[in-house]
Amino acid sequence: MNINNVYFCSRKLSQIKRIMKNLIIVVALSAISLWLLSSAKIENKLVISDSNNDISFEIPSNVQVIIDKSCYACHNPESSSVKGKMKLNFVKLPDMKVSKQISKLMKISKVIRNGKMPKEKYIKKHPEKRLTNDEAVALSSWASDLAGKLAGE
Amino acid sequence: MKKVIYLIVALLILIQFIPANLPDVSSDNPDDILKNNSDIPQIVQTILKNSCYDCHSNETHYPWYSFVVPVSFLVGSDIKNGRNEFNFSNWEDYKKTEKAEILDRISEAVSEAKMPMKIYTLLHRDAVLSDDEKKILITWSDEFAESLFE
Repeated sequence: MNINNVYFCSRKLSQIKRIMKNLIIVVALSAISLWLLSSAKIENKLVISDSNNDISFEIPSNVQVIIDKSCYACHNPESSSVKGKMKLNFVKLPDMKVSKQISKLMKISKVIRNGKMPKEKYIKKHPEKRLTNDEAVALSSWASDLAGKLAGE
Repeated sequence: MKKVIYLIVALLILIQFIPANLPDVSSDNPDDILKNNSDIPQIVQTILKNSCYDCHSNETHYPWYSFVVPVSFLVGSDIKNGRNEFNFSNWEDYKKTEKAEILDRISEAVSEAKMPMKIYTLLHRDAVLSDDEKKILITWSDEFAESLFE
């Protein structure tokens, strides 16, 4: 192999190395963005307008924060808690019939007010998820107020 | 041995003097759900009356053993709890939101076979819900709830 061939080969090699490095960076960035997108929580405001009345199903951002903190882990469609996602699924909630939305909201308000949710077992494992008094009040009054609005009361 | 039996029998007789305090029965209920919603299908009306009304209305039927202490305590408490959960006799007094919630709970409890209570159906064979009757009841409660908001 003469010196020109060696020089040519080593140039090609470093070119290939550069391309590989760029490719790896692009793939890594895409993977990270995909992961970020897939783990994104539901939007701050889910506005689905109901054909029967003018009230839309909205979750204000201060309530959304509380739901994300202490409820969503069990009450989402990918939850490992079979019972949790069956009893209440926040992703499905805006698409349910008005009567079911109202009954779910009434139930949310009740279980928060009587301290049954989040479950004690869950809080023992994750003490930071315990609702403060203010959070409990905000969540339960949002739920019962919205139920009333949806019912036209 | 004989003495013990006599003692037990004597005790059982004595405790009958404890008042049973069973919840009142009333057949005059102008706010009753069936009186105010004549379009509820007959089959549903029958199911509600046979399987639910003893505990969830004022129209309770007390069989003879309901008056025997200590069975009366169990019967009385079940009926008080049932009426507290919801009472079909007072249906028209409930707000729409409360009605929706009750109907959803009915749907859930029946589909999870939590209602009617096993201890009740053991003694009331005609209250047992067949699979078809369960489906009818669940469908009706969901549809009835929806109709409230149309």
